[in-house]
Amino acid sequence: MSYLKLAQRNLWRNKRRTLITISSILFAVFFAAMMRSFQLGSYSLMIDNAIGAYSGYLQIQNPDYADDPSLDNTIPQLEEITALPQKVSNVKAVVPRLETFALASTGNLTKGALVLGILPESEKNFSHPQSFLVKYRFTNQAVRNIVDNPNITEAIKSKVKILEGEMYPTEKKLADALGDEAIDTTVLNIIKRECHYNGRFISASDSEVVVSSRLAKFLNLNVGDSIILMSQGYHGSSAAGIYRVAGLVKIPNPELDNKLIYMPLSKAQDFTGCYNLVSYWAINLKNASDESLQNTQDVINNMLDSKNVTVKTWKELNRVLVQQIESDNKSGIAFLVLLYFVVFFGIFGTVIMMIYERTHEFGVLISVGMQRKKLATLVFIELIFMALIGVVIGMGVSMPIIHYYHVHPIALTGNTAKMMVDMGFEPLMPMAPFGPYLYRQAIVVLVMVVLASIYPIRRIIKINVTDAIRHR
Amino acid sequence: MAIGQDATDIVKRADEKMRGEKSSYSEMTMQIVRPAWQRSVSFKSWSKGTELSLVYISSPAREKGQSFLKINREMWSWNPQMNRTIKLPTSMLSQGWMGSDYTNDDLLNQRSVVTDYTHKILGEETVENSSCYKILLTPKPDAPVVWGKIVMWITKETYLMLKVEYYDEDLMLVKTEIGRELKTMDGRLMPTVYELLPADEPNNKTIVTMNLIKFNIPINDNFFSIQNMTRVR
Repeated sequence: MSYLKLAQRNLWRNKRRTLITISSILFAVFFAAMMRSFQLGSYSLMIDNAIGAYSGYLQIQNPDYADDPSLDNTIPQLEEITALPQKVSNVKAVVPRLETFALASTGNLTKGALVLGILPESEKNFSHPQSFLVKYRFTNQAVRNIVDNPNITEAIKSKVKILEGEMYPTEKKLADALGDEAIDTTVLNIIKRECHYNGRFISASDSEVVVSSRLAKFLNLNVGDSIILMSQGYHGSSAAGIYRVAGLVKIPNPELDNKLIYMPLSKAQDFTGCYNLVSYWAINLKNASDESLQNTQDVINNMLDSKNVTVKTWKELNRVLVQQIESDNKSGIAFLVLLYFVVFFGIFGTVIMMIYERTHEFGVLISVGMQRKKLATLVFIELIFMALIGVVIGMGVSMPIIHYYHVHPIALTGNTAKMMVDMGFEPLMPMAPFGPYLYRQAIVVLVMVVLASIYPIRRIIKINVTDAIRHR
Repeated sequence: MAIGQDATDIVKRADEKMRGEKSSYSEMTMQIVRPAWQRSVSFKSWSKGTELSLVYISSPAREKGQSFLKINREMWSWNPQMNRTIKLPTSMLSQGWMGSDYTNDDLLNQRSVVTDYTHKILGEETVENSSCYKILLTPKPDAPVVWGKIVMWITKETYLMLKVEYYDEDLMLVKTEIGRELKTMDGRLMPTVYELLPADEPNNKTIVTMNLIKFNIPINDNFFSIQNMTRVR
């Protein structure tokens, strides 16, 4: 009879024992996959937040811009760059931006702001600023009306009082802010009606601006108000202007939310005197893996060789984020290794238990003439069998969970969330989508099973038959 | 050294000669030179005594209409695009005026070369073929000035400042101002081109050319008012 058949029969003979071993392997795979997925998910969220949704994976700049990001180191609005998505297959989108710092003031309040000249239509497919447009705001009046409304419970009223001044771009974010438990639809509708906030995103021909929510809060700004911007423009000229606020945006990155002002590109060029000039072009890629990032950078660099511009990757532009991810990844791997240790001894424990249980059986088999090597091979195959079953089921269990939390990230609340927001991150814990890291976890667990099988194989080879037969 | 020539007196006469004893009106062009670019700004300037001055930007078109008012030690700016008057905060005093190498503080504290410093003749040197007194200006202990010391070269007979060196608190050279192209304007011989050379950026400079100057014009004190800033042309 073949080894496989024997192994299968042995496994089926004592189903409970097999199940215990399989489940220890299953959990090993499950936990390793979960942990790694959370880690990688948070890195890609960081990258998405900072890179994909704002600065782009690649940027085309003046070679001096990196050292001195001033308006004097701008580049012309080149036709060649606008046409990049048609010419380079990996380029998903490209947008020009003109960035400058300005003093923003209303009445007696003044604060430093980052004025970002954009092409609103192109930007809608790039950094999606229109999706951050504030639609609900707990204004003074709204809070008062809600508190006076007899249909609303005290618990919700006290929450609303705390939220005074807060702004939300979507109904979901508004509902989330009110609490974890689902709120009665009628109550939510009342709150929605009271908090409804007008405002629209700018279009290319507007001479209005859109202001980030925290800056607006600081400057006491509302839609329709005027904001004064003062700065130094191109070649040291003075830049000043007064703009109407078309809408407010709640930007996920709190640092940007503190200072960003969106302005149509042509108006920003007027404001600074940088006619037909941009600070940089941001490029998003279809495939942003390290290799294709490098390739695309080289391709574009060659294309624009004669234009006195340079292409930089997000890793060159945002070293802080790269280092943050690297150091976090190191500690993540350390934790993962710790987890591997724990699950290894879990597997090893069940294997030892199995061997002791079967010592009598082994003794009998050897004494009736079963070769020790064949017996060891058989036990090894059984273990590998169980490992494969455990890994497959483990994967099967973790994949839907990973997929679910990839699509619906865990939203952190309370102090942890506050801490993350203060550090400049979105308070979310998403899981990474499926990727090679999953198979790596499976392989690591298989290797652990192979390591754990050394002991039973040695024991079978060295077993004392008489002792083994007496073993019960 | 001429006998009876007091250092303070020399500085005072040179200072008055440049700005007029009572008042002055001038039209100037300022050229800002940078390694990669240069641009010029034209302006008109009124001043009365050492306390009052008003500057109106007449070109380029982008900046035309802006005006700056100085009363004593305070400065306001008016911007027609914003329709707002802004009092310059102390934090902006060290910034370049209109992007040039002149700081706002330079415009504010001109008069203090006479009152805020003690003066001492160091010797005589020749600058641009004119023999000059070399005078050291040390700030008085409680004077609100930014310089650690100033060295001036003033011509002997005509009292013209041909060269001024400004040093910081550590007595490191910050910038040098050179007066050139002596011409007679409104009856006075004076440098008509001033070059300002920052010490730490050897490729940068600012050149101010006097196109027109009138001394001791009749001008009322209330010409120098915030209301007039918005009206002046």
